[in-house]
Amino acid sequence: MRKLDILADAAKYDVSCSSSGSNRPARDGVGNTRSCGICHSYTEDGRCISLLKILYTNNCIYDCAYCINRRSNDIPRSAFTPDELAGLTMNFYNRNYIEGLFLSSGVLRSPDYTMEQLNEVARKLRNEYRFNGYIHMKAIPGADPLLVHQAGLLADRLSVNIEIPSEQQLLRLAPEKNYRSVFTPMNLISRNIAESREERKRYRKAPRFTPAGQSTQLIVGATEETDYTILRLASGLYNRQKLKRVYYSGFVPVNSHDSRLPELKQPPLVRENRLYQADWLMRFYHFRHDEILDENNPQLEQGIDPKLAYALRNPHLYPVDLDRASYEEILRVPGIGVRSARIIVANRRFGRIGFDHLKKMGVALNRAKYFIVCRELTTGIKPVVYPEQIRRKLLKSTNGAGTQLSLF
Amino acid sequence: MKVSGPYSIYTYDGSIDGFFSVVFHAFQSRIPPADILSLVSNNQIPIGDIIDVTTCPRQAARVRRGIASKSDKKNLRLVQVAHLAETRQTDMLLYRYLVRLFEKPGQSYYRNMLDPLVYDLVQAARRVKKEVHRFHGFVRFQQTRDNMYVAAIDPDNNIVRLLAPHFTSRFPHRKWLIYDVRRKYGIFHDTSGLMEVKLEGHAFELDSGYIGKNARAVREDLYRELWQTYYDSVNIKERKNSRQMRAFMPKRYWKYLPEKSKK
Repeated sequence: MRKLDILADAAKYDVSCSSSGSNRPARDGVGNTRSCGICHSYTEDGRCISLLKILYTNNCIYDCAYCINRRSNDIPRSAFTPDELAGLTMNFYNRNYIEGLFLSSGVLRSPDYTMEQLNEVARKLRNEYRFNGYIHMKAIPGADPLLVHQAGLLADRLSVNIEIPSEQQLLRLAPEKNYRSVFTPMNLISRNIAESREERKRYRKAPRFTPAGQSTQLIVGATEETDYTILRLASGLYNRQKLKRVYYSGFVPVNSHDSRLPELKQPPLVRENRLYQADWLMRFYHFRHDEILDENNPQLEQGIDPKLAYALRNPHLYPVDLDRASYEEILRVPGIGVRSARIIVANRRFGRIGFDHLKKMGVALNRAKYFIVCRELTTGIKPVVYPEQIRRKLLKSTNGAGTQLSLF
Repeated sequence: MKVSGPYSIYTYDGSIDGFFSVVFHAFQSRIPPADILSLVSNNQIPIGDIIDVTTCPRQAARVRRGIASKSDKKNLRLVQVAHLAETRQTDMLLYRYLVRLFEKPGQSYYRNMLDPLVYDLVQAARRVKKEVHRFHGFVRFQQTRDNMYVAAIDPDNNIVRLLAPHFTSRFPHRKWLIYDVRRKYGIFHDTSGLMEVKLEGHAFELDSGYIGKNARAVREDLYRELWQTYYDSVNIKERKNSRQMRAFMPKRYWKYLPEKSKK
């Protein structure tokens, strides 16, 4: 129990949680995966628990300034064996506590050795327990490509964390790492995924390589990169490496003071939330990163959400006529989400869209009303004339940066 | 249907067949309902002109066929799922919807979300489906001494049947039981398939959902404690945000979640 405490505690700073993107039946074994993902519980800090997120060991040969498990920290160390970890996972899974395993690790002895241990856990689960639930594994930077390939055949998702959004800063904080060591496995995984896709087109039974793709994590607020730099990096990862998710983790100072890192009273939660909103704009709202921010506006506004900020910077694009505009245009209206936009487009042939409909759909009218033409607003309010008034009004009505950090 | 004569309050046993029997009765007798009440979810039945309808599978089947023949399949699905919401007004909404469907058949009304009646029904169905999705996560099995996995639930909507497909495909070779302690029935699965069951006596402790100590597998308590330990240790104190946690996992669900209801 002590072991579980230590190794779960040490793993919690990795924010990735999702169990989505894969769809595997149980067949002759136990468990399946659902492409929508399932959350089983929520912690006091409001994050979901979907997977048993745990380190194989918190021993580590590296000494990265931002990490709680760095070599120079004097903390209790522990390690599982593959048998223990596989057994624990199965017992949690059978009770429906979890959706699967998220296995990470400090680097023990060498990257190759660590990767082999992780693979052994996954192999036990898949072959001995005939476990068909979700497995997310870390690809250990520096491990042999062959081992990473084996990991990809066992896991639903692989991830390599970039952590620090610029190489220069990474070298400063983690002298034993560089971008090449991170991007090599990442590029390898995306190549393997592409190849596996191709093969499955020709031969349906070809083995699947990480059917739920790969993800990464960036620490926000430990170093000085602007939001623009972070979004540009994320956008590149989505487009070039075809990542499924980029996670942003507000920096939590876990180590006693290190002069290379800032002293923060509180993790930058609002900034983190704004980054996720911007990330959502890129992934679901068809925004490009350079539409959300640019060299001249390198930081996301803390007081208003990035879509509203975009609308106020581009008043000439509004108002949008809900009865005529394309789905894409409606998506760009502040206060209207993907679901509402779909309902509007699918239902407007039955009649004019009015405030009552929008309210029922859950559209945030306090924001949306400045940017739309609908039954009650036949000519719309022209934001071109006074974007500044709108900004002031909305800032007042939300008391600046609120505490609610919900994404949905 | 022409409004003719008196209105009446209908009562029934809360099942979907019972509801369809009410519909059948109302159409045949030409006495439209002023209200439709399930005897299961309403303790207080008002005094007045009450027609208590006995559930009749044959009549229900006729209504079902009627709905299916009037428009496409999705209507029937919508009606049946929305009915599980068991909210006070849903049955009347459903009735009004069916009247419209039978009077002007052949239209896919459910597509028109600008219509408030349709929108409310779609919302009711959505609430049901949302809770089903939540319970895919919130069901907590306990292993019994004879290697069965059992779970007690107390959901807002009558969803236990809708949970069966997910857990059947997840644990296809295992005996498991998910039991709705408020509605007092459950779904039992073994290798021969699914069965609805009613339990006599108190198999589950009502405040914790635990099965009796003697019924539990040897290591059941150990794994529950490990899970509680895990839950506490993944929390990041610096990021405490209980409001967000409760938004995703409302307090009313906590009693059968071991991580939230420690002794």
